[in-house]
Amino acid sequence: MEDQKVIYDNKTVKLFILATLVWGIVGVLVGVVIALQLRFPAFNFGLEFTTFGRVRPVHTNAIIFAFVGNAIFAGVYYSMQRLLKTRMFSDLLSKFHFWTWQLIIVLAAVTLLLGFTTSKEYAELEWPIDILIALVWIAFGVNMIGTTVIRRVQHIYAAIWWYIATFVGVAILHVVNSFELPISLFKSYSLYSGAQDAVVQWWYGHNAVAFFLTTPFLGLMYYYLPKAAERPIYSYKLSIIHFWSLIFLYMWAGPHHLLYQALPDWAQALGVTFSIMLIAPSWGGMINGLLTLRGAWDKVRDKAELKFLVVAVTAYGMSTFEGPMMSIKFVNQLTHFTDWTIGHVHIAGMAWNGGIVFGMLYWLVPKLFRTKLYSEKLANAHFWIATLGILIYAIPLYWSAVTQWLMLREYTPEGFLAYPNFLETLTQILPMYTFRILGGTMFMIGFLLMVFNLAKTMKAGSMVAQEEAYAPVLVELGARDPKKEGMHRFLERKSVRFSIVAFIVLAIGGAVEIIPMTFVKSNVPTIEAVKPYTPLELAGRDIYVSEGCYNCHSQMVRPFRWETDRYGEYSKIGEFVYDHPFQWGSRRTGPDLARAGVVGGPMYKNAAWHYNHFMDPQKMNEQSIMPKYSWLAEKDIDLDIIPVKIRAMQKLGVPYPDGFDKIAVDDLKKQASGIVADLKASGITADPNKQIIAMIAYMHKLGRDISTPAVNDSTNMATAKVVVETLPTTPADLNSGKEIFGKLCASCHGPEGKGQATFPNLTDDVWIHGGTPTDVVNTITNGYPVKGMLPFKSQLSDQQIKQVASFILNSLKK
Amino acid sequence: MISSVLENIQGIEIYYIIGLLLFVVFFVVILIRTLRMPSKEAEHIKNSILNDNEIMTPSNK
Ligand code: HEC
Ligand code: HEC
Repeated sequence: MEDQKVIYDNKTVKLFILATLVWGIVGVLVGVVIALQLRFPAFNFGLEFTTFGRVRPVHTNAIIFAFVGNAIFAGVYYSMQRLLKTRMFSDLLSKFHFWTWQLIIVLAAVTLLLGFTTSKEYAELEWPIDILIALVWIAFGVNMIGTTVIRRVQHIYAAIWWYIATFVGVAILHVVNSFELPISLFKSYSLYSGAQDAVVQWWYGHNAVAFFLTTPFLGLMYYYLPKAAERPIYSYKLSIIHFWSLIFLYMWAGPHHLLYQALPDWAQALGVTFSIMLIAPSWGGMINGLLTLRGAWDKVRDKAELKFLVVAVTAYGMSTFEGPMMSIKFVNQLTHFTDWTIGHVHIAGMAWNGGIVFGMLYWLVPKLFRTKLYSEKLANAHFWIATLGILIYAIPLYWSAVTQWLMLREYTPEGFLAYPNFLETLTQILPMYTFRILGGTMFMIGFLLMVFNLAKTMKAGSMVAQEEAYAPVLVELGARDPKKEGMHRFLERKSVRFSIVAFIVLAIGGAVEIIPMTFVKSNVPTIEAVKPYTPLELAGRDIYVSEGCYNCHSQMVRPFRWETDRYGEYSKIGEFVYDHPFQWGSRRTGPDLARAGVVGGPMYKNAAWHYNHFMDPQKMNEQSIMPKYSWLAEKDIDLDIIPVKIRAMQKLGVPYPDGFDKIAVDDLKKQASGIVADLKASGITADPNKQIIAMIAYMHKLGRDISTPAVNDSTNMATAKVVVETLPTTPADLNSGKEIFGKLCASCHGPEGKGQATFPNLTDDVWIHGGTPTDVVNTITNGYPVKGMLPFKSQLSDQQIKQVASFILNSLKK
Repeated sequence: MISSVLENIQGIEIYYIIGLLLFVVFFVVILIRTLRMPSKEAEHIKNSILNDNEIMTPSNK
């Protein structure tokens, strides 16, 4: 048969490789920076643009979309042309794809640091960028499916099904999760609210892992692993079966991110079941990958690229076993909100995604530049340092998760939380964060070695940008002959049809998960007491979103005793109906804030405390790792946009009265001056127009509507007063009092009890509420919640309260 | 008063059941189809990708 000339486009592949290397370094470096921030808050640099809450999304987006994304495209553009024996469908689309993708990355980094964010994890980018992403994605899809249409081979090899599933999957996810109502060029509100928003987001979040970090990588594995090992994939039949079951099952599993949270039971059960079923197809992929190497293990010993691929596939197997285990409700108690998840994603990200990318690059770059790898030794060094780095990164985090979880749920024999102060549990695990910095740095050094090695390789070789090859013309087979051709082979021949079937399979899972949630909305018994946010609270909420506080704080109390004792009443689905977007969070680096506004609850702090805390968290709690937010007291609330926000919320179904937008600014000013007066009473002069006022208003809104208003102050106290004649004064008692004081009281009254800011000195003779043992014990027991003194009766036993009172009156006063 | 919110929503399990059934049917079909595929054909496809180096380009002929 006549051979036709094919000219492969290597230039686009090279560009994507270069972008992978550049963004990879950036992403890993930013990762090391945020690891430093979590250990040493000084690395937040006191600037709003560099606080953890804003930089963390830069890290995740840079790794996922910039590093991994460009690597996928490099791998796809190279392998597709060879597999289908044709040039990519359109040069123009290839060019558009490459350059617009890079533009998106730059825009993403800039806007995230400026605080423009939707707060939906891995989908933080605001609506104009979302539109750009959609355009690029369409270009990629058309280019790819177009290439399958003009191919010169009969069948479409397994790798390409995965590429197509990636395209279809991400397209569905991106569109469904990005429904938002723009209110300005860089701000929008999610169309979904509360629980519904959470389900859509985590359906997205979970499947972004599936269709950006799994399917394309399985595709790359099906091509680059056989190529590098020079032997065919173990079982082609297994690849068909695990392909369809994997893409079918993944779409259903999202709710495993929301176990024990304010979500209907059926949705949680759905997520758990499908997550566990996912083990099977995932392990199908791992087994297929590992068995491909049977009899070739000697090659693995010599070649760094194979080593990386083996570790990658093994890590894939581990992570896809760990993931389903983490979806079991009991295990999820531990893994959710703790560092376990961080360990899990880094095993998967660094070893599986990183491993495939590194393995691919070590094989591909010499191939593309028609030369040998500059240094096999350096590549092996990279392998060992990276693998070790990953272990040093992940193991301490698993340790930290277990430690913190055990501490959080430990009770004293008297039935009180053993560690009522959240910060204590955090301080305990900080040393683990030092290991994380080390592990991350090692991984980065390995990465740099690779960049050097590949740069040298590129320099030594020469790439033919337009590579010529010859391939026979494809003969059209026409209609299917059922006797000769199996159904799947037939589907493979018809790539467009194949894509449509893949779409349907994916859409079913999505629909089953999302559609019932629309019913949930009408089925949620609205909680009468829950009121829409006031304009000031709404402004504060938007600042909370833009500062990325959700990266460290959850707003979701799960129904466990050790959570309700620590934070307050557990969260109800009906509380969130006005939340666009939801702010449940996924990691508790700091304490949960869902009950921060419940006066008399364990989390309540008065305005003065919040003011001082935002200005300088380390002043209030020396060991805190929360960044300073002092500019909140300098930046003005944007008043012009308030009416626009109110109107947008009305459109989304929030029941503000008609014409409320016109009086919203007045309402805001009135509430702000109330807070300013409150601060004034504590001796703090603040300007009502500043963002910090809005933030305090928002903090005090959290959980307030479903709590019973606190009965105020002394009148009530007087009737409940317990008379205390003597206080325990043995050295053991005083010591234990001292310890409690350091943990629970010092953050307000200062380490020596001398008071600070507006919090009273307990060592002088001036008493607001009386200095007798009876007075002091009662103050500590019941508190003066509205004035900012917490009631400790739910956190300390009577004996402990007496000990700390004794410590104040006997030891501090001297 | 609000504690009953986490309860099931009436009749919603139907989605769950239909979905599972769809999956099972789909899976069985794929499984049977695939297992009945001739092994020779599978061999051919998986080996074919290794050959693409062999396409002669003028420079390395
Ligand atoms: C790097 C993670 C981090 C970020 C980002 C962060 N926090 Fe914190 N936050 C903490 C930690 C840790 C604590 C506990 C120690 C303390 O009180 O400072 C805390 C404590 C708090 C508390 C006190 C809770 C209590 O009652 O004990 C509030 C309120 C708070 N943060 C609000 C915010 C807000 C609002 C933002 C965003 C502007 C924010 N935090 C950003 C880590 C963080
Ligand atoms: C969140 C900040 C905060 C924490 C934590 C805190 N306090 Fe207080 N405390 C206050 C404030 C504010 C007042 C003043 C209340 C008022 O003005 O009525 C106060 C008042 C008191 C008083 C009465 C002082 C007087 O002049 O009558 C005592 C005693 C006291 N606290 C003891 C403690 C002890 C013991 C602990 C730890 C178990 C503790 N506080 C923890 C904020 C705090």
